[in-house]
Amino acid sequence: MMYLIRIALRNLLRRRSRTLVIGSILAIAVVFFLLIESVMVAMMDLSFKNAIDFETPHIEVSRQGLIDEEAKGNVVPLEETFSISNSTEETIAGLADYQAATPVLDFSADFIAGRYTFPVLVRSIEPDSFSQVFYHDQYVQTGAFLETGQSGVVIGERLAQFFDLDVGDYFTLRFRDRQGSFNTMEGEVRGILATPHPDMNLRTVFVAREAAASRLGLANDAANRWMVRLTQRGSAPEQSQELQASLSNSQLVARSYREAAEFLVAVEAWGYIETYFILALFLLVGAVGIVAAVILSALERVSEIGIMKAMGLRENEIVRVFVIEAGGIGLVGGLIGCILGALSVGLFVIYGFDMSFFLDIDAMSAFPLQGRLYGAWNTSSFFFILAVVVAIALLSSLLPAYTAAKKDPIEAIRRR
Amino acid sequence: MALLTLKDVSKIYKQGDIEVHALKGVNLDVAEGEFTTVFGPSGCGKTTMLNLIGALDRPTSGHLLFNDKDIGTMSKNEQALHRRRNIGFIFQSHNLIPVLTAFENVEFALQIAGDGKGSNSDRVQNILEQVGLGTMMHRRPNALSGGQMQRIAVARALVKEPKLVLADEPTANLDSETSKEVLEIMVRMNRELKTTFVFSTHDPMVMEYAKRVVEIRDGEIARDERKG
Ligand SMILES: Nc1ncnc2c1ncn2[C@@H]1O[C@H](COP(=O)(O)OP(=O)(O)OP(=O)(O)O)[C@@H](O)[C@H]1O
Ligand SMILES: [Mg+2]
Repeated sequence: MMYLIRIALRNLLRRRSRTLVIGSILAIAVVFFLLIESVMVAMMDLSFKNAIDFETPHIEVSRQGLIDEEAKGNVVPLEETFSISNSTEETIAGLADYQAATPVLDFSADFIAGRYTFPVLVRSIEPDSFSQVFYHDQYVQTGAFLETGQSGVVIGERLAQFFDLDVGDYFTLRFRDRQGSFNTMEGEVRGILATPHPDMNLRTVFVAREAAASRLGLANDAANRWMVRLTQRGSAPEQSQELQASLSNSQLVARSYREAAEFLVAVEAWGYIETYFILALFLLVGAVGIVAAVILSALERVSEIGIMKAMGLRENEIVRVFVIEAGGIGLVGGLIGCILGALSVGLFVIYGFDMSFFLDIDAMSAFPLQGRLYGAWNTSSFFFILAVVVAIALLSSLLPAYTAAKKDPIEAIRRR
Repeated sequence: MALLTLKDVSKIYKQGDIEVHALKGVNLDVAEGEFTTVFGPSGCGKTTMLNLIGALDRPTSGHLLFNDKDIGTMSKNEQALHRRRNIGFIFQSHNLIPVLTAFENVEFALQIAGDGKGSNSDRVQNILEQVGLGTMMHRRPNALSGGQMQRIAVARALVKEPKLVLADEPTANLDSETSKEVLEIMVRMNRELKTTFVFSTHDPMVMEYAKRVVEIRDGEIARDERKG
């Protein structure tokens, strides 16, 4: 066996350029995978973080009807509001990783300023507890965040730009109340937000809950969502299920951010499918290269195969020589790829890249990303892709190696 | 008792519709320790006969017995194991594995024969010294002359002390001086180690080393004589 390995490795060295050419195809696959994976992990991580910090926190409690209507893309129905009971509030506060909770009353409205109208989601909040769950108050560009009982709105910078509004300017919100008749709210812009969540900066408007509830014809403590922040993201799905179990005899349902942010979860899944698909294409090319390399070296070494047979090597021992060679090409390519991959991922981790161009793409504006994205390190990806590349090299060499080893020794010896 | 017995051995090569009768009912006994020269013109069937004896090929009909075992009916793997234990080959050229040094080529053969369990580098060194290559052990084949390569091939065939060494025109590519040296080594090994040799050639000059000459013409044994 020692000699089989020695022969294989010496031949790899002898055919250095072939080893490197086919190795570099595999290396490209490796670099591609590592970089894309890093971008994706970083992007999804930041997207989820921004969604949690500005849109849907770890756990959201609401009525099933609201979820259903939202899924249909309808305006937020005012029938699906609720007043939370003390015991439910205690259950929520009793969650293992509970940090804070806040009620939210969302409704659809038209934002009117000057001659323009723009459809928005009005999020009526209790500013104090809201700021314990969300981080909007830390991203005020001009003016100030809402205070309890205050009239007026806080809007995002993109909406402000659209209407050319400044702090102190006047606005009108037009909406239907609980009875279905039109009603309006008027006031001053209190603050302008620039959050890292682009959609928040355009389509969401914040008002204090007391001001909104009476205009909507709802009780003062009416909410359509309870937003719950936990101390950590990881336990959200599990604790959401726990909460769901204890809510089962109320009309309320609990969802984790992963269920609420279905869009992101879908994007994540598609991202992985796409990455693995392209990786598979690269690896296919690499596999073809390996097959070609094994066929070539078998052709070059017909008489060597004959000699090995005459010396009494069995077919599967000769197969091993070629399989080890292919594995060596895979290892060389995989290692080169891992080194280059580590360098490029490293650059991405340190310098990141600017995502502002994303915002100009319409489809991307729903993505909760903005600013610079920094790469994520994922050591296990390196081991994974190295193992995959070596395995592909070994597997794709099997058939040509067997064909070579099956060569009739008489023919092999005659052809010299 | 004969080490090797050929009973009515025939070999027909089929190339499409054409049949080549390379051997036609050959009968032969080779005793242990014998140095047999198979002699005949090009195309008479020497290589065919040696390949059959070496279990690299199977006869179309007839039997080849090695120590009374029929090697023509063994499975491929059994044939491989038989070769690695009992037979050393020397071919006309390209005997060596190019990426291994002289020493490694010989050691490789010894390891295979010993089923991969260790090697005896003294034995390797010793045999290389006996064929006069003690100083060039660590050269690769491409840094050696044709005669040197053939001497390594002899060393490689003999290092595992096989029962039988098959040499198919081992001197055909060498000049007469070098041929003589290689032949003398083989004759000496036969004398000292009592290894059985079957050796083929079409070169009449080589005949002076032969103790037994089996002459083949057109796939048949035309003459079989022993000298002194
Ligand atoms: N694989 C094969 N397929 C078809 N015909 C073959 C094959 N091998 C040998 N022959 C033919 O069989 C006959 C005997 O060939 P063989 O190689 O045994 O002769 P040889 O005595 O070794 O000749 P040489 O001195 O040229 O090596 C020749 O006519 C040859 O053309
Ligand atoms: Mg021949």
